[in-house]
Amino acid sequence: MSQKHRLKDKGYINRNKIINFKFNGKSYTGYEGDTLASALLSNGIHLVGRSFKYHRPRGFFAAGVDEPNAKLQVQLNGHSEPNVNATEIELVEGISATSQNCWPSVNFDIGAINNFLHKFFPAGFYYKTFMWPKSFWYKIYEPFIRKAAGLGVASVEKDKERYDHKFEYCDLLVTGSGPAGLASAYAAAKSGAKVILAEDKHRFGGSLLMDDVSIDNLSGKDWADKIISELKEMPNVTVKNRSQVFGYYDHNMLVMFERVGDHLEKKSEFTPRQRLWYIRCKEVILSTGSIERPIVFGNNDTPGVMLASGAKEYMKVYGVLVGKKPIIFTNNDSAYETAIEFKNNGADPLILDTRKEHMSELVNEAKNKGIEIKFNHAVIRANGYKKVKSADIGELSEDKTEYKNIKKAECDCICVSGFWTPSVHLASQSGNKLKFDNQIDAFVPDKSKQNEFTVGSANGDFTLQNTLNKGFKAGKDISKKINNKEIDIQIPNATEKKHNIHDKFWCAPLPKKIQAKRFVDFQNDVSVTDIEIALREGYRSIEHVKRYTTLGMATDQGRTSNLNGLQLVSNIENKIVPEVGHTTFRPPFTPVTIGTIVGREIGKHFMPTRLTPMHEWHVKNNAVFVDAGAWKRPRYYKIGNETMLQAANREAKNVREKVGICDVTTLGKIDVKGPDAAEFLNRVYTNAWMKLPIGKARYGVMLREDGMVMDDGTTTRISENHYHMTTTTAQAANVLSHLEYYLQIIWPDLNVNVVSTTEQWAGAALAGPKSRDVLEKLFPKSNVSNEALPFMGYQEADLFGVPARIFRISFSGELAYEINVQSDYGMFMWEKMIEIGSEFGIQPYGTEALSTLRIEMGHVAGPELDGRTIPQDVSLDGMVSKKKDFIGKRSLSKLAFNQSDRQKIVGLIPTDRKTSIPEGSHLVIDKNAKLPNPKLGHVSSSCWSVENNNPFSLAILKDGKNMIGKKLFAVSPLKNISIEVEVISSHYVDHEGKRVRS
Amino acid sequence: MRSQNEFSYGGDASVKRPELNQEVSDKEWDNFVYNRKSLRGKHLELWHHVSGCRQWFKVQRDTTTHEIFKTAKMNEEI
Amino acid sequence: MQKYSVFSLIKNAFSDHMNWEVAWKDPTPKKEYDVIIIGGGGHGLATAYYLAKEHKITNVAIIEKGWIGGGNVGRNTTIIRSNFMYDANGRFNEFGMELWRNLSQELNFNVMFSPRGIINLAHSDAQMNAYARRGNSMRLNGIDAVLLGREEVKKYIPMADFSDDVRFPIFGGLMQPSAGTARHDAVAWGYARQADSMGVDIIQHCEVEGFNITNGKITGVRTSKGEIKAKKVGLCVAGSTNILAEKLNMTLPIETHCLQACVSEPVKPLLDGVVTFGAGHFYISQSDKGEMVMGGDLDGYNSYAQRGNLPTIQHVLTGGLALFPFLSRLKMLRTWGGIMDMSMDGSPIIDKTHIDGLYLNCGWCYGGFKSTPVSGWTFAHTIAQDRPHELNSELSLNRFSTGHLLDEKGIGTKTWIG
Repeated sequence: MSQKHRLKDKGYINRNKIINFKFNGKSYTGYEGDTLASALLSNGIHLVGRSFKYHRPRGFFAAGVDEPNAKLQVQLNGHSEPNVNATEIELVEGISATSQNCWPSVNFDIGAINNFLHKFFPAGFYYKTFMWPKSFWYKIYEPFIRKAAGLGVASVEKDKERYDHKFEYCDLLVTGSGPAGLASAYAAAKSGAKVILAEDKHRFGGSLLMDDVSIDNLSGKDWADKIISELKEMPNVTVKNRSQVFGYYDHNMLVMFERVGDHLEKKSEFTPRQRLWYIRCKEVILSTGSIERPIVFGNNDTPGVMLASGAKEYMKVYGVLVGKKPIIFTNNDSAYETAIEFKNNGADPLILDTRKEHMSELVNEAKNKGIEIKFNHAVIRANGYKKVKSADIGELSEDKTEYKNIKKAECDCICVSGFWTPSVHLASQSGNKLKFDNQIDAFVPDKSKQNEFTVGSANGDFTLQNTLNKGFKAGKDISKKINNKEIDIQIPNATEKKHNIHDKFWCAPLPKKIQAKRFVDFQNDVSVTDIEIALREGYRSIEHVKRYTTLGMATDQGRTSNLNGLQLVSNIENKIVPEVGHTTFRPPFTPVTIGTIVGREIGKHFMPTRLTPMHEWHVKNNAVFVDAGAWKRPRYYKIGNETMLQAANREAKNVREKVGICDVTTLGKIDVKGPDAAEFLNRVYTNAWMKLPIGKARYGVMLREDGMVMDDGTTTRISENHYHMTTTTAQAANVLSHLEYYLQIIWPDLNVNVVSTTEQWAGAALAGPKSRDVLEKLFPKSNVSNEALPFMGYQEADLFGVPARIFRISFSGELAYEINVQSDYGMFMWEKMIEIGSEFGIQPYGTEALSTLRIEMGHVAGPELDGRTIPQDVSLDGMVSKKKDFIGKRSLSKLAFNQSDRQKIVGLIPTDRKTSIPEGSHLVIDKNAKLPNPKLGHVSSSCWSVENNNPFSLAILKDGKNMIGKKLFAVSPLKNISIEVEVISSHYVDHEGKRVRS
Repeated sequence: MRSQNEFSYGGDASVKRPELNQEVSDKEWDNFVYNRKSLRGKHLELWHHVSGCRQWFKVQRDTTTHEIFKTAKMNEEI
Repeated sequence: MQKYSVFSLIKNAFSDHMNWEVAWKDPTPKKEYDVIIIGGGGHGLATAYYLAKEHKITNVAIIEKGWIGGGNVGRNTTIIRSNFMYDANGRFNEFGMELWRNLSQELNFNVMFSPRGIINLAHSDAQMNAYARRGNSMRLNGIDAVLLGREEVKKYIPMADFSDDVRFPIFGGLMQPSAGTARHDAVAWGYARQADSMGVDIIQHCEVEGFNITNGKITGVRTSKGEIKAKKVGLCVAGSTNILAEKLNMTLPIETHCLQACVSEPVKPLLDGVVTFGAGHFYISQSDKGEMVMGGDLDGYNSYAQRGNLPTIQHVLTGGLALFPFLSRLKMLRTWGGIMDMSMDGSPIIDKTHIDGLYLNCGWCYGGFKSTPVSGWTFAHTIAQDRPHELNSELSLNRFSTGHLLDEKGIGTKTWIG
């Protein structure tokens, strides 16, 4: 029979909708509203996994985020996902789950042999062994350890689902919809404040769903439902379920992770799976509640051992009875509610209370219900391998370190409660230093660092009326602060059972004759003994204990183990807990998928793609593109079966012999305007700028303050106070920030403004001996003769009705022009140039040919200007003014920059005139020298010289100026290449620069 | 409140660039280019609204808590 | 000292592990030491160890304001490599690689050094050329390096995105096969245990409040546990360097920044080596526990907070998904931050100072862990001999004045621009 552990008419699941699912290959059913955990438990399945180190059988320990054991591999929507918390994932049709970390099956796991050898695997054992012989660590031992590593299996498939981001601002964010959260959200919302209420689970209400309380004569759940429906009606309130606030960052920026799609049976392809919310809030109420902590005892990891609160949640919320003969092992009153609930559902609970004979409202009620209570008793050890069958129980001695008599008690589950631990993670993340509260033996928030306030059991307040009082007050205070409104709300009356004080008992002593492991951290298999060993060996700081034993480092981040670990350390070290301190709480509160954090910037959207206005033409004409930062640039235009080198050489040759056209839109363009523009340029560039006439361009080099070349380019004086600066494509953004830095911070007295115009202008370079012929036809109304438009000249012209700018500048070393029109006319310009140029043999050329042309000419570019070269290194000394000061000048006097053998740019040709020299090769005197072989320099750029029809390279060479004519070896051990080369001038073609002026 | 992503950092605002065309000792120059106090606690620094209005401005911020005490335009004192 | 081995493990198992000795003691400070090392991180502990072992100087104290190994040695992403372009960095770290290879045996503590290789991916020919320049420089220095093409990269990381749906396709990469990872905490503990056994006093929870300097010579330190005299003092405090420099009236070419890292939940092994993305700030390896260990870029502003913000993590993981789309469905388990002593050229400083008897070890930027042994080894030499070893002679403090910079990235002084 399926779901035979389901109670009749209990819980908030939808019994009208049956859900089919699979676990370890077998089919089961559950109901809508179940979690995978509650559905499995309704089918009587406790054993769901194996532990990490000893492969011990493990079952459900909790019912929510605190679950340490039930991490499953889940198949859903065609994806397989590891380490899914079965107590959190909602049951949805077709979901399939399998156990992890076991082979061949969870029922019979070979790895469990580790459990028998546990003595040899104490904390930190791997630091002490696997060292001999030396090579075995990496070859034998570690592969073996790695095989055992990990829990689930990551799929290597591409994720087909989408993840969204959302940005929100609010007056108040409330994290958790228990009584504290509802009260504060409601009170604040009443004033009109913009409120976001976030609940991790899919049901609102938090503890109100489980606790036997009433508020204003409504049951806890009904009151919660009423408040939620009122909040939902308010336009100033956003109520989100399935939403976990997982990080509290600077300046009240919180982040929330919303599960949008996984629980939906049908969804559109546009429904995201999960959504990340960045929420900037004025105020934050942390109403994150508390987590029950266990008492440590022998074999406390056996399936069937569970938190008392978990058992209660399964009964109350899901209508699942986890046992018929439960033992309730507690040091406080709250677990009595679990016992009473068991009793109400026909089970036969036995309460073991570590406290001495004790009276309270709940104790009385339990007694009246006929529940057997043994005071001053503890569970020593659970018995049973894959499921609890019985427990060894004992009566505690006066000092509670021994037992008076020990008996066996039959049971089918053990529900344990060691009192409650406030969830202070978010408070701690916000910068709140926590304080230890001796009353509750746990940390609670102290003074706020940011605008946050913790209410309810997260603050150690465990009574409902107090929580409501403080929640409403907090909401009202925030209303006052935000809207300066006094709200008059009647605080409701709560009816609740009074709880008496808990017993400071958190670990059952283990008599010598009883063998068992007592686990503090379940998932990482950290036992009491492990912690004792760590301390014995001197790992005494709590961080050392954590790291040496791995306590609290599993995927549950020690939610149920950290405090018990601390108690153990403080007991052994004979310190109080606050002296031991706590480890740091770090985001995220619960694990968050990486897809959610990244959002939509995936695949091709990793970075925006910038296209020039002529892009479509390039595509149509077989351009092969290259990424230049975010830009796509034509690298070469492929004709037939050409290789890249063939195409580049053809294009370059065409420029040298006829005329070529190149899309140079991507060059950075900056307008520099103002009466002090010339003075500013004079400070920014190394050369002189005060006397540049209107209508003239000049080449400039700019340095960083450390003396290194930052960028180069031409700047043209368009009018009296208007200059048009160009930068390299790569440095465009940096140069603009650099200019703004100096104008706004260093020299605010200069009356200059700068603005990027890169995207306003489309640019085409027209280069080659026939470029003027093309130009004349392109601008029939203009005089573009050598006299009217000389080298470094500038004209404004009319391109068939389109205003254009003509700059006579050259990167290729040929007679060349650069024409700019407004971006919208870029394609028009380009097509006109191609059309008109066709009779002169015009061909487009890409960045490969561009490189060839500039390398031959000895013009430097990115590979030479690599942030490590000063002007002298790249033969730009002539550009450096001796007369005036400029950015970076003072650094040029540094010792290293003036050494006589300082590096210098040179040209290289292979002595065989055939073998191309790979970029990145280094220059050495002796190619066979023993290592380390001293390096004299490196090859920065290489090309096939179309002019001389042999390879040519540029290199940065130590003492380069005195090396001309010498022979060296260019070696690339990576490519197993060494080439004898001759050092020549870096200007390989047109040494005198006649062509650009022709 | 604007997102952190819109801004880029510009370092210690108390560092003064030596005047142009002045004799500057090696030490003074290196103090401008390289050496930084990198204070713990209150730190006066430069930020650039790089994906926004492109203004450089001054921020007084705590380097241990990241709390921002004051911001000011470049021509204002903090 | 008790020797660790499989035999000692078995023997102790039969006495219920009751007889293990402490790994290091918790002494009260003496009045005076020959050498005080400030900073009980990896570098400080290693320095003390090599002072004792190589230079027989054992009257040494390590002063640590918190718990040993709590700084960057305990919060890094455990990558070990010597893939540097500059000779000074390459040779220095290659010497360190040799120390790593023998470290477990030397310390009798398994630091789990695994030469699983590092691949720096390239996404353009220009980047391939830049890597060739670096790789060839490595090879000429006797360091292993291999240039991989796209297909070769695919053999190592078939689960990377080799589809057409990428913004920056993988062109290839530079691999250092002998690079790898180690267990970070074990390095600190292993050095601590050996140093302690040779007589070094490890003094935790002892904060330096000031320095005693007479006539330009250091004479001791003032601490929260009182004044301690010393003939020599070595500073090994990484992200706290600027704080102590202020007490010494020194202004250093160092800025303090926060670097975040994160791990995923543990999954079965599928990534063997270390991989860095070349078109963004992202690197990844998989630990022996199965967690994906990931990092990338600085948060980008001066910080001593050991906590960063989510946009930086998002930025880093965006690079991660561009490279490995399968990471999308893995869950990020934990993020943390460390405080980096960012030097102005990206390379470290191990040198004497203008104060007689005061030595400086700082400027490790993102990569101090890999240099832990060689940093300790050369710093110990520098302190013991009162002059730098040849290996760290170029890692000098005055290189910024002279212009002999070691700028591996060519980005200059703006430490916040990665």
